[in-house]
Amino acid sequence: MKRVLKRLIPVLLMAVVLLAGCTPTEESDTPPESKLKESGDVYNLYSGEITTINYLVTSTTAEFSVAANAVDCLVEYDHLGIVRPALAESWEVSDDGLVWTFKIREGVKWYTYQGEEYADVTAQDWVDAARYLLNPDNASATANIFYSVVENAEEYYNGEIDDFEQVGVKARDTYTLEYTLKQPVPYFLSMLTYCPFMPANGKFLEEVGDQFGTDHTNILYCGAYILTEWRHQDERIYEKNENYWDADNIHIKKIVSRYNKEASTLAPEMFLRGEITGATIPTASLDEWMDDPEKSKMVRPAETSFYSYWYTFNFDPHFPDEYEPENWKIAVNNKNFRKAIFHGLDRISALLTLDPYEPERMLSNTISPKNFVAAGGKDYTMIGDLAKWTTGDSFDPDLALEYRDNAKAELEGKAKFPIKVMMPYNTSGTQWANEAQVVEQQLESLLGEDFIDIIPVGFPPTGFLNATRRAGNYALQNCNWGPDYADPETYTEPFYPDGTYNWPEKATDPAYFLEDGRTVYQKMVDDAKAEVIDIERRYELFAAAEAYVIEEAWVIPFRVGGGGYVATKLEPFASPYAPFGVSSLQYKGQIVMEEPMGMEEYKAAQAKWEKDRTAALEAEAAAGR
Amino acid sequence: MSQKELQVIQAIEDEALFTFAEFDPEAAERVGYSDYSYWGSTLKIFFKNKTVIFFLILMASLILFATIQPYLPNQKSSTKIHVSPVTGHPLQNQEPSKEHWFGTNVIGQDLWARIWSGTRTSLLIAIIVGIWEVCFGIFIGAIWGYVRQLDAFMTEAYNVINNIPTTILLMLLAYILRPSFRTMVIAMCATGWLGMARFVRNQIVIIRDREYNLASRCLGTPTSRIITKNLLPYLVSVIVMRIALSIPGTIGWEVFLTYIGLGLPIDTPSLGNLLNEGRQVMMAPALRYQLIFPAVVLSVITISFYVLGNAFADASDPRNHY
Amino acid sequence: MLKYSLKRLLQSLITVFIVITLVFLLMRLLPEEGYFGDGYDKLTPEQRENILRKFGLLDPWYVQLKNFYSSLLKGDLGKSIIYRPDVPVIDIIKLKIPYSMTFGLAAIAVSLLFGLSMGIHTARNKGRFWDKIWSGYVVFINAVPAAVYLLFIQLYITGLKYKGRSIFPMLFNRHNPRSWILPLISMSLGGIAGYALWMRRYMVDQLNQDYIRLARAKGMSEKQIMVKHVMRNAFVPMAQYLPASILLTISGSIYIESLYSIPGMGGLLVDVIQRQDNVMVQALVLIYSSLGIWGLFLGDLLMAIFDPRIRLEKKEGAR
Repeated sequence: MKRVLKRLIPVLLMAVVLLAGCTPTEESDTPPESKLKESGDVYNLYSGEITTINYLVTSTTAEFSVAANAVDCLVEYDHLGIVRPALAESWEVSDDGLVWTFKIREGVKWYTYQGEEYADVTAQDWVDAARYLLNPDNASATANIFYSVVENAEEYYNGEIDDFEQVGVKARDTYTLEYTLKQPVPYFLSMLTYCPFMPANGKFLEEVGDQFGTDHTNILYCGAYILTEWRHQDERIYEKNENYWDADNIHIKKIVSRYNKEASTLAPEMFLRGEITGATIPTASLDEWMDDPEKSKMVRPAETSFYSYWYTFNFDPHFPDEYEPENWKIAVNNKNFRKAIFHGLDRISALLTLDPYEPERMLSNTISPKNFVAAGGKDYTMIGDLAKWTTGDSFDPDLALEYRDNAKAELEGKAKFPIKVMMPYNTSGTQWANEAQVVEQQLESLLGEDFIDIIPVGFPPTGFLNATRRAGNYALQNCNWGPDYADPETYTEPFYPDGTYNWPEKATDPAYFLEDGRTVYQKMVDDAKAEVIDIERRYELFAAAEAYVIEEAWVIPFRVGGGGYVATKLEPFASPYAPFGVSSLQYKGQIVMEEPMGMEEYKAAQAKWEKDRTAALEAEAAAGR
Repeated sequence: MSQKELQVIQAIEDEALFTFAEFDPEAAERVGYSDYSYWGSTLKIFFKNKTVIFFLILMASLILFATIQPYLPNQKSSTKIHVSPVTGHPLQNQEPSKEHWFGTNVIGQDLWARIWSGTRTSLLIAIIVGIWEVCFGIFIGAIWGYVRQLDAFMTEAYNVINNIPTTILLMLLAYILRPSFRTMVIAMCATGWLGMARFVRNQIVIIRDREYNLASRCLGTPTSRIITKNLLPYLVSVIVMRIALSIPGTIGWEVFLTYIGLGLPIDTPSLGNLLNEGRQVMMAPALRYQLIFPAVVLSVITISFYVLGNAFADASDPRNHY
Repeated sequence: MLKYSLKRLLQSLITVFIVITLVFLLMRLLPEEGYFGDGYDKLTPEQRENILRKFGLLDPWYVQLKNFYSSLLKGDLGKSIIYRPDVPVIDIIKLKIPYSMTFGLAAIAVSLLFGLSMGIHTARNKGRFWDKIWSGYVVFINAVPAAVYLLFIQLYITGLKYKGRSIFPMLFNRHNPRSWILPLISMSLGGIAGYALWMRRYMVDQLNQDYIRLARAKGMSEKQIMVKHVMRNAFVPMAQYLPASILLTISGSIYIESLYSIPGMGGLLVDVIQRQDNVMVQALVLIYSSLGIWGLFLGDLLMAIFDPRIRLEKKEGAR
């Protein structure tokens, strides 16, 4: 019987095909062209449980990654980093750059976690979200991002005005939203992809009160996915929102994330056992994976982030007498001394504690990372004097020794040698402690123990930055900063007077100051900030200021965040690319491949992506956007 | 009863029927004499056990080796990062070899040297904490047990302190004093004595009203002699046992504190730190040696102390003497 | 009995009160930065103030203490501030307690069953082969830190494969009973060793006692002696600690729950202390310390019921 059936099946199938061919249907000549790609589901492990999904309050990446997939923004980035319409179909700016008007996409709806329709998405949702955000009782951690640009928002937040009508966000009609800014903000569109500019239904906000975002049942969904299940420290399940306005670009149907505190150790093994879709490969076991012919085919580099790390010299030391702060003050104000360490630090050795395989990938020669922003088809780090640093390497032992000898000669009789360099690190993890030990031994053996004495000092994670950097309780420290918006201005904040990083305004070198009391650096930044129309000019000015910080060796640019290695079936370069905001956290456009990508394939894909991106940026520039 | 004694009784009969007898050490000695020696018997039984001899030798050689290891020829520093002469970069994750007997860790430090340095650190912490536990714990425990008026108050205080999570105290201490060897010792001393005090108190409560103590007191034995001759021999043996057992306990505790992120800074090798470092690479079979070596050394140490402590407790129990 | 119970209850209330107040004050000594997490640098001073105000931390400490107690009297444990902002503490722990208690109780049952029978078995075969093997086990479990052997168990046993699939999954999954086995065994190992050691010592002691000899002389069978005399007497000292250990199963096991990813209470206290979620810390300390103290009290009561010689009013034993 079975055999008969087997033989019959092809015949039957043929019959069906023939019949279908014969039946005249309307679609027959234009078959529905679905862009939907084949994709498996995602299974992964995570170790840090999120505390809330209230996207109007949190500023933690892991937490707004839920909102990134659950709620859409006005605009979004595509996989090449080009801004595309999302919930806003189109927009226009007034000539003075102050009023932005958005046409909201019609027919998009809010859904509950059970997939039931709740309401339409309208312009009023952005106004209601802003009202919630600017209510100081809600203690939003991102309100400042909003009120730093929108008219009257800061006054409302601080209680100086009571009338919300005066705040520069308005629903002109059901589908027309209007933002009025304090001053022209050339990077405003990039800000719109961050949580404080996400919509929220006002009626629902009122309904759930202070429980908004406490779990998956207490938010509404208008994005690509619905969080159908969230059991705290257990699992999270996302399912595709079939009614999503751009459903054709959502290929992954289901994402199941399981919690495990030891995820980083267990995930690689579980990946090999085929239980999960992807895993980060810890630094320590990387060699093991790379040496194994089978496993090495599955490992590829992970994307780096836009967090930027630099070793920072402190000009205003406030550390205990045992580390000789006065002596440090004399030494740090000597440019040759700073340059000796600047050129003496073997960053690759230090980076080997993070990436033993290809440390160069995480190296950063500037304060703003590469591929952060571009103007006129040119990457920001290649503009003006920054290009010199971007293409070179600060580590140069011969140059370092030359500067050391100069510093010794200049400081002779003024400072006591060896100069004690107090270098704090956070004891919560092992990597930083390891890095501190490597840096100490490398610098001391190059520059001589009679020149510097680097003293790594461990501080507990409890109140770490307040005890070290912010208190000026360090001589040399690895500090970091992440961008708040897509503009080079964001990376100037640490060094601008009143920052809490290294207080260059307290330096004694008279060449750093102008007659009007400002520092030279301050003037350079002020001038750049004032240029809001000509973006190319603006970037040139910022690049000059950044090159100044590096040239004067206030910091030693070190690395970018992220990076590392992953073994994953998720396709790289398919997800939205953005230096800032929530777009890059979306699963939109991604697929789960049959097999993970290896190193070579990845490199090829990366080269192709970079080519595509350059072309896309040039096309954008040509279109005058 | 001799004739003479009868006469004495006769003589005082008129004055009073009973008077307190003067304490006469000689007489006491004569009555209590036997050729039994508590410590002699204890040690005899202790050393008769072959397992004990084995672990004693093992432990002694471990401690001896850990102590003299840095002074032996060809030993490496536990913190020096070994650099490859070819590439100029650290020699990371080198498997055990002639040069590095136990291999190197993730940043190229010699694991052999780190294990012995870690053993010294952990043992030193354990011994300091152990001694403190004994001194302070016994002192508090003795007062608690002997002074009846204080019992209710001390019990209450014990309940309170015992119920405050150690993590809070440790976090505060680490925050105020910064993570270091000193902080670790202070943190462990701050709470470690509690168990000892309770233990001593319970022992004293049990023993102080035993019949033989009652008898001693009736015979007019001074309190100091009751404590030194009646109470202490009993207590000393259990206390020595507690110290022996507190060492594996303290090491286990250090491992736990490191596990929850409140341990020593990583540039001070300790068994807890080494284990934690090893744990992070355990999923790579080729690197598992970084977990196995410290785990084995740690287990040998804790097991030796544990076995010896228990064997000593058995040996020192007078019921096992013959 | 009633009077005594009331007195003990009152006493424990005072203890819990002092504990909570101290914990409350200690938590306020921790640095302010801890309330903001990583985002500190990105916040304006006004935002920081608003966050602290929302957490109720701007009031002087005695006002905070008063607020805490007045809501506690209304039976309100409060809402978490950092661990899961705005979620009532009760809702958080109510999801977690069942996991910890189920595993904890099962582990106690397994430990009692295996531990006691192991103890009895070894006591009766003192000095023989199995006695030595079991003693080795007991020594190992008691001496080696749990973190070490639990790790190796998970590492090697989950690697065992049958027809290419691992027999024991690495992670707990509430739908897959096979994944419950390893955590349960891991959790029972310590208990088995503890009960076995204790039972063996007790048996060796008791079997030489006069009343056992008398029972033997009377012609009772070994089985009867075991059940009617030894076991019953053995239960008395155990009764003292059993209620506390049963009640405290709700606190879970920090190592095992984190290794196998069981969403229970283990590690929750450490976690919320490190994140400085004051409300959660206070609630948990309140629960744990009351349960601990009342557990001991119940233990004393139980002991008095089982052993007619014990009179609670005069008892001055270990607490």
